[in-house]
Amino acid sequence: MNAVRDDHASAAVTTVVLLPLLLTVLAGVLQLGALRVAAARVRAAADLATLVAVNDQDDAELSRTGSLRLAGDASDVAREYFERELELSEALLAASSSEIAAMADIAAYPSAPSVDARTGARYQRPAVRLAADVPVRTPVFGALAFHPVTTIGVLAVSSPR
Amino acid sequence: MIAILVPLLFSILEFGAALERWLAQDAATVQAARYAGEIGGDGAEVRGLLAEQLRASGIDPGVATIEIAPARVGWREPVRVSVSTEYRVAIPFLFTTTLPIRSSAISRGEVNR
Repeated sequence: MNAVRDDHASAAVTTVVLLPLLLTVLAGVLQLGALRVAAARVRAAADLATLVAVNDQDDAELSRTGSLRLAGDASDVAREYFERELELSEALLAASSSEIAAMADIAAYPSAPSVDARTGARYQRPAVRLAADVPVRTPVFGALAFHPVTTIGVLAVSSPR
Repeated sequence: MIAILVPLLFSILEFGAALERWLAQDAATVQAARYAGEIGGDGAEVRGLLAEQLRASGIDPGVATIEIAPARVGWREPVRVSVSTEYRVAIPFLFTTTLPIRSSAISRGEVNR
């Protein structure tokens, strides 16, 4: 009986001693999950921004030659929509959506073939490429002696078909 | 001991499921926004696609609040799709609560009216 009571007591003590560690692990897991959601949102924002930008074609060029060519303001449109999409997740971000969009490296390749100066990729169709570093709030990581801000790098390329 | 370990385990499971649902709802909303831009705003097709995507992710579209604004967009005009649902989190010995899960995405009208 004494041995069983001792076992119960030592298990309870072990649990209480390990409680801070278990709570830390729980908080870290939840923060990682939230970071995953933020990363997915940032990726979707970049994808939508480039898609919207390439959906608009240079109508005069299309009717004259029959070939697809991006509208002249494609990179401005991509930047504008990247900002709009990020604005919807502003609570997750560590900088304003306008700052992040302004810093994004957006390049339009109106005609094909072309070579991306940043990635070296060769595009067989007109394309818009968006590359950005998006700082996301990670307060739990900060409390655990890591960085309170995690930067997510995103790269999106879209072409019309 | 049980009163500590069980809530911890359930917290991981319940909040993990909530995050998974958030991801799925976000993805469905982005798809719906793309489609809304393509057909020029709100329509039965967009709501049908959204309902199908939500159902495939285990979310009952009947309890989701869906807003597509503006209802009709022209060439190059922005259209926003917002979806809001609630997820019930129950942690034994601790609490039961309802988490609001909100997703939004913006696309651009592709219909030249």
